[in-house]
Amino acid sequence: MESSQETIALAGNPNSGKTTLFNALTGSSAKVGNYAGVTIDLKHGEFHTPHGRKLTLVDLPGCYALDDSSPDQEIARAVLKGDHEKCPKPDLVISVIDASNLERHLQLTLQIIELDIPVIVALNMVDMAEKSGLRLDPVKLSEELGVPVVPIRADKGKGLIELKQAIAHPLPPASKPHWKTGDEKDRREFGLNVAQIAARRPDRQTSSSSDKIDAIALHPVLGWFCFLGIMFALFWSIFSFSSIPMGWIESLQELLVGQVEGAMAEGDFRDLITHGIIEGVGAVVIFLPQILMLFFFIGLMESSGYMARAAFLMDGFMSKVGLSGKAFLPLLSSYACAIPGVMATRTIDSAKERLVTIFVAPWMSCSARLPVYLLLVPMLLGGSEGGVTQAAIFMAIYVVGTLTAFLVARILRGRLGPDEVEHHFMLELPPYRLPQWGYIFRHVLDRGWAFLKNAGTIILAIMILLWAASTYPKSESDDPAEQLAHTVVGRVSAAIEPIVKPLGFDGRTGTAILTSFAAREVFVGSMAQLFHVEESDEETETRTHIRERLANETWADGSKMFTPAAVISLLIFYIYALQCLPTSAVVAREAGSWKWAVGQFIFMTVFAGVASLIVYQTITFFTG
Amino acid sequence: MPSTTVQDLKIDSLQSLSQAQVGCDFQIKVIEGPGCDQLRKLGFCETLQVRKLADGRNLICNVCGTRMAVSKELAEQVKVTPLEA
Repeated sequence: MESSQETIALAGNPNSGKTTLFNALTGSSAKVGNYAGVTIDLKHGEFHTPHGRKLTLVDLPGCYALDDSSPDQEIARAVLKGDHEKCPKPDLVISVIDASNLERHLQLTLQIIELDIPVIVALNMVDMAEKSGLRLDPVKLSEELGVPVVPIRADKGKGLIELKQAIAHPLPPASKPHWKTGDEKDRREFGLNVAQIAARRPDRQTSSSSDKIDAIALHPVLGWFCFLGIMFALFWSIFSFSSIPMGWIESLQELLVGQVEGAMAEGDFRDLITHGIIEGVGAVVIFLPQILMLFFFIGLMESSGYMARAAFLMDGFMSKVGLSGKAFLPLLSSYACAIPGVMATRTIDSAKERLVTIFVAPWMSCSARLPVYLLLVPMLLGGSEGGVTQAAIFMAIYVVGTLTAFLVARILRGRLGPDEVEHHFMLELPPYRLPQWGYIFRHVLDRGWAFLKNAGTIILAIMILLWAASTYPKSESDDPAEQLAHTVVGRVSAAIEPIVKPLGFDGRTGTAILTSFAAREVFVGSMAQLFHVEESDEETETRTHIRERLANETWADGSKMFTPAAVISLLIFYIYALQCLPTSAVVAREAGSWKWAVGQFIFMTVFAGVASLIVYQTITFFTG
Repeated sequence: MPSTTVQDLKIDSLQSLSQAQVGCDFQIKVIEGPGCDQLRKLGFCETLQVRKLADGRNLICNVCGTRMAVSKELAEQVKVTPLEA
């Protein structure tokens, strides 16, 4: 980056369309969504003016005013005031305003003008505002404010050329405020006057289609039916629509194994490629369609505007555990991945509520747990996949994680004590919008690619190590079980077994759990490898066959190993265990202390082990 | 002992947004209380129109074209008067 390159900042209220404009100007694909608080950190990009001058564009988190207290809004304030360590004071600010709500959005624009920075107003979503009956006058607005005003529609790419032309070089001088600087009352009155002049509202408000949808979606009873119905449809779709692409991946895997076996002579190296790499990594990759499906549905919820409604519905419930509905947004994001979920807690005003939310966020079942659940849940149903029962069990798994998170939050919140300043629930409910399909598909592909990259790096490395550990040192015995017992894995399994047996697992399952502390998905690949030895050469490695093999596994006394009690115990362990180092790193950063992250890791791991133990022993006690 | 002013009597005669009837339009007359800064940042200002859309623990209203959900405690701090039909 040239040192002389000027910096332009995008500032505005939450959900005014800053990131959509950022993506449109820079060609980036930063996360967007139809709810307040999607952007929680700075995003940098570059773009060129029509005259070819390269500029740095910084997308700021949304804020309502420059004295807001939540951590994301503090970042915006620091940049605009020139106090941010990593970002210079911007040479120009594009103030993005939602044209439907000039009265509110103008207040921040006026505060930015007071900072003596050149400002250009990007009046976003003008056509939608006019459709609602508002009569806008951008020229009048520009005259009153003394800054250029450019009407745009960022999601459709309209008005971008005009906006770039407005950033003429040399940059315009800062505007002189027409109100008493620093006097909040005077500034507010000026803003309201300007809004009245530049945006004439219809005499009477009329009910919009969003109002009509909300009458059902936010109804105290019907709203819950809608919420649970949406969640159930999500889980049902994950199974029902993924079976065909999963079949393709299985076929590809079998084809690859066949090709390698046909081309290579029998030996350790062929075994490494077929059983170690293709089958181990393939056992995880096979769940890619379901991961994509999950992200697709989360993307739909985020861009349609439903996320804020879910938070609204949950507020009553959340208040009983000492959190607000606002904390439910980061928790909802954690269903996809705990990392953005933990980062999204920056939108929470109360520091104590934020800490508690960070602590419990990893208990929202993330996408990395999905392969484990997908392997284990059908084992409770005799191996059958799909259907309403499986969707109901899946939903129950998510509910168990969420309810436990709430319970722990309740205890923790009580221990941390009340806030010094009382925070009340307040949330903007954005209008429902048609999803931005382009963004959703790009986001889904990005997540899919990240999953495959993970499979091609961490999971591949662990599969190779695990193959070596389960192959060497070799014994002279021809019995596969004796051969495995002689290897490193066999010895580790034997050492672990006394510890994990009370939880219902044998040493191999214990070893698979150990490997999954690197990444949860590894468990499926590890199980495929570790329970592979007794398989005949003709069998093909598919997820159904892994389950069949696990279902047929027995203890030394001939009793079934993977009983419903053992499978439920395994599921419980994976619901609760925190097996994600990147999450711990982000927790340490966001909570400002490694102690918090280490404490969380130890607590969740011990909790998972104890919960598994109790569940297994209780079920076994009652079922014999 | 504090004396009651005309302004106090005027405020007392207003209803709060939490008491207001659902489905009706109102004009915001006074915002007072510990949450008034928070309310103003989110667009609740004196003289603006507000329509109450739903009641409950958190009520829903429309202020200048934006739907907002606010807690009953905050809505108690917004004093309104009905808009004449």
